[in-house]
Amino acid sequence: MLTRPELKGQAVVLHETQRGTERIVACSARAVALGVTVGMPLAEATALAGQGEREKGEGRREKREEGGAKRQSHSLMVDAKPQAAFPLPSSPLAPRPSPLAPRPWPLAPRPSPLAPRPSDPLADRRALESLAEWSARFSPIVGLENSTTPEGLLLDVTGLAHLFDGEASLAERIVRDFARRGLTVRVAVADTIGAAWATAHFQHSAFSIQHSAFLVPPGEVLPALRPLPVAALRLPAETVELLRQLGVDRIGQLEALPRDELSSRFGPELLRRWDQAIGRLVEPVPMHGQPPQLEADCSLEHPTTRRETIEAVLEQLIGHLAQMLLGLGRGAMRLECRLDCISVGPARAEPVQLSVGLFRPTAAAGHLCSLVQMQLERLRLPGPLSGMHVAAATTAPLLEEQQELFSLGDGLARRHARYLAELVERLSSRLGRRSVLRVRLLSDAQPELAWRYDPLVENSRHRSSRKQSPAELPPRPLRLLRRPVALSVTSIIPEGPPVRFQFCGRSDRIAQHWGPERIETGWWRNHTVGRDYYQVETTTGHRYWLFRRLRDGRWFMHGTFE
Amino acid sequence: MTIQMYTISWRLSLVKEQCKDPIQVETLRQEIARLERSRFRGGDRPISSGCVPLDRLLPEGGFRRAALAEWLSAGQGSGATTLALAAARQACRDGGALVVLDRRREFYPPAAVRLGVEPEELIVVQAGSQADEHWALDQALRCRGVAAVLAWPERLDGRTFRRLQLAAEEGGGLGLLIRPLVARGEPSWADVRLLVEPLPAASGATAGSSSSAAITVGQAGHRPKVGRGTRQNHIARPPGRKRRLRIHLLRCRGGAAGRSIDLEIDDETCSVHLAARLAHPAAYADAAGA
Repeated sequence: MLTRPELKGQAVVLHETQRGTERIVACSARAVALGVTVGMPLAEATALAGQGEREKGEGRREKREEGGAKRQSHSLMVDAKPQAAFPLPSSPLAPRPSPLAPRPWPLAPRPSPLAPRPSDPLADRRALESLAEWSARFSPIVGLENSTTPEGLLLDVTGLAHLFDGEASLAERIVRDFARRGLTVRVAVADTIGAAWATAHFQHSAFSIQHSAFLVPPGEVLPALRPLPVAALRLPAETVELLRQLGVDRIGQLEALPRDELSSRFGPELLRRWDQAIGRLVEPVPMHGQPPQLEADCSLEHPTTRRETIEAVLEQLIGHLAQMLLGLGRGAMRLECRLDCISVGPARAEPVQLSVGLFRPTAAAGHLCSLVQMQLERLRLPGPLSGMHVAAATTAPLLEEQQELFSLGDGLARRHARYLAELVERLSSRLGRRSVLRVRLLSDAQPELAWRYDPLVENSRHRSSRKQSPAELPPRPLRLLRRPVALSVTSIIPEGPPVRFQFCGRSDRIAQHWGPERIETGWWRNHTVGRDYYQVETTTGHRYWLFRRLRDGRWFMHGTFE
Repeated sequence: MTIQMYTISWRLSLVKEQCKDPIQVETLRQEIARLERSRFRGGDRPISSGCVPLDRLLPEGGFRRAALAEWLSAGQGSGATTLALAAARQACRDGGALVVLDRRREFYPPAAVRLGVEPEELIVVQAGSQADEHWALDQALRCRGVAAVLAWPERLDGRTFRRLQLAAEEGGGLGLLIRPLVARGEPSWADVRLLVEPLPAASGATAGSSSSAAITVGQAGHRPKVGRGTRQNHIARPPGRKRRLRIHLLRCRGGAAGRSIDLEIDDETCSVHLAARLAHPAAYADAAGA
C-alpha cells in the first residue's frame, strides 16, 4: 500500500493460474472479511465480494508493491545456544490459511469491491530482498527463506540479544520498525530455524510476548512444536495430506512413531525437516547479500584417469553448485567446466573446457550432471585429471517467466514443455547449441534468406516469426539445395520455359511447368539477385524447382518438391 | 505372447501349404492381427494421415501412436515428405513438438510452414554425423514432449532400427522416417511401410499449360518488366497445380499389406484427395512378406 495507496482498505486479492483456473493465492484482511480464502477460484471470490459489499469490517494495514504481495518472516538465532526467530513479518496481504488472530487496524470503513491483481512472484522476491537488506539493522546475517517462493526472512540473532535488551525487546522492536514501514509482521524467536518458522506461521497463543511476536525459550523447542499442525514442519502438501489421512494432525503425534517407519513411508524429507526443527540437524541461515561466486572446484591428490572417479568428483561439485543456486533461488543458464590434466609427455597439457547451455534456468544437480557427462563421454583427456572447476557462468531466477515453446497455459503443455526443455538441452549439449534450432520466418523474397535458424538454448531473445497465414506464403519446395546446382536445359524459345534438363547424369523431359515466378531482390544489399523460377514436373511425375539466372541466362536446380 | 505369435504364424504357413482352406487361413490371420495389436497398450486413437483415403488404407484408420512409419520415396521430388508432414501436423494437434532431423541441411522450413506446421512447435536438429543422427533420433523419439519426429536416415541397421522402435514406444510419439527406395529390401521395424511413387500428369494436362506469370519482387522499387503481374509482391498462382502420387502399403502390422491408392495433392490448398482413378488392387501383394 505504500506504493499504491489507493488500494488501502480494499479487498485486494492476488491470483494466478493454477490448473487452468484463476485462483486466489493471497488476499487482504478486508477480503478475508468478505469470506474469500486462499485457493478459491477468482470467479467465486468476485461473486462473494458482490454479496458482502455492504458489510463493514476491519482489516489489516497492507502494503503492496508493484503487483506483488510480500510476505516475510525472519529467523533469528539468539544466544550462545542458538535460538532462531522467525519474526515473520507478516503477511501483508496474505494471511496464512491457518487462522491468525485478527489484529485491529482501523480502516476507513467503506464498501469496497474486490480488487484483483495478478500475482507476481518475481516482484515479491525482489521486494523481499530489499527488505532483507534493510533488516541488516537487526542482524548481520539475514537470509531469505530457502524456497523458490520465499515468504519470510531469517535472521541469525545469536549473541545479539544483549544489544537490544533481550530477545523479547528485539522481537518487539522488529515488529515496531516494520510497522513504521507499513508492514505487519509476525516474529518468532527460537533455537532453530524450523521452530521459529513453525511458530511464526502457526502459533497464536502461547509464547506470545506481543500479539505478533513469539518467543520460544531456549531448550523448549519440543514443547512449543508439539501442539502445532504437521504443516508447520515445512513439509510438501502431499506429505501433509497423507499424514492427515492417517490421522496425524499434530507434530506431537509424530514423536510417537518409529523413525525408520516414518522415513520409509513418507520419504527422507519428513525426517530432515523434523530433525532441523528440533535442532538435531544443523541448518544455517542462508545469507542474503552479494551474490557469491557460483563455482566449485576440487583438486585431486592422486591424478586419475578412472572414469568413475572423475564422474564422482563431477557429481560432487555440481551437487555443491546446485545447493548454492537453490539457496539463491536461481538456476544456471550456462555451466562452464574446466578439467585440469597433468601432462604425460613433454607438451604441457592444456586444460579441457566444457560448456553446457540450458534452455531454461535449472538448479537440478542430476540434470546438470547428465548434461556434462554427455560431453565428457565423448572426450579424450590429454592426461590424468588433477583438478576440476565447475562454475555457473550465467544464471537467471528460477521463477522467471519461462520461455515456453508453447504459449498454452494448461498442465499438459507445461509438462510437454518440461520434457522438451530437457530434450533440447541434451541435444544441444552433445551436438552443440548451433545444431538445435528454432525457425523464424523472414519476409525476404530471396528463397535462401526467407527464414533464419536461432539456437534454442542460451538464447535470451526468442523472437517469433512474423505472423503469416500459410496461404500467404508462396509455393516452395520442402528441400532446398544448399547451393543451386548448374544444369543444362533445353528451351524452345530463348528466355522461355524449359523443355528438357539434365540432372545427375539423367535426362528428364518436362511434362508441365508453372511459372516463371520472377524474383528480383537484394539490390539494396549490393548483391542483386534476379531469377525466373519454374516449378517443373517431369514425365515421370517428379517435381523440381529450377531457375534461370537473368544475368546470363544459365539454369540452376534449386530444390525438389519432396 | 511372442512365442504364441510365432506358433500361430507357423501354423498359418502350414495351413497355407496343406489345406488351403481360406476360412481357416483367415481365422488365423485375424488371430495374428489381434495378438500384434494387443502388444501396444493405450489403445489411443490413431493419428490421421491428414487424408481420408490414406487413413482407409491403413489398418487402424491412421498411424498408430508410439510407433514408426517408414516412407520409401521413389526418387527425388516424389512427394513423400509432403505426406509425412501432413501426418506430423495431425500428430502435433494434441500438443507436443515436431522435431525435424535434418542432417543434409536441406530442409526448407518456409515450405513446411506453408503446409501448416507451426513455427513455434518446430525444432530442427542438424546432426553432424550418422551416429549423432541416430542418437538424436533416439532421444527425440524417447521424449514425451515430442509428438512427431521427421528424419531422412540413410542407413539403418537392424539393431538401430529396433532401438528406434523401442524409443518410439517409450516416448509415445510418431516417428516418420523417409528413406530411399533402395531400403526396400532391408528389414523394417516400422509399424507401417509405405512406398510413394509419383505419377505422371493426367493425360488431359498439357505441357506448359500455364501462361500466367507469377512475380515476386523485393521490398522497394523495381517494377518488373516481364509478366502480367502488376502489383509488387503479388503472386499470380496458375490454377490446377495438382500432383498425383501412388501409395503402396508395403507392410503393416495387424493388417493386410499390398494395397495401393492414387492420391492427388493440391498445391494451392495443400490438401490431399483421392485421385480420380480408384484404388489399384494388390499389385505389390507379396512385397511386404507379412
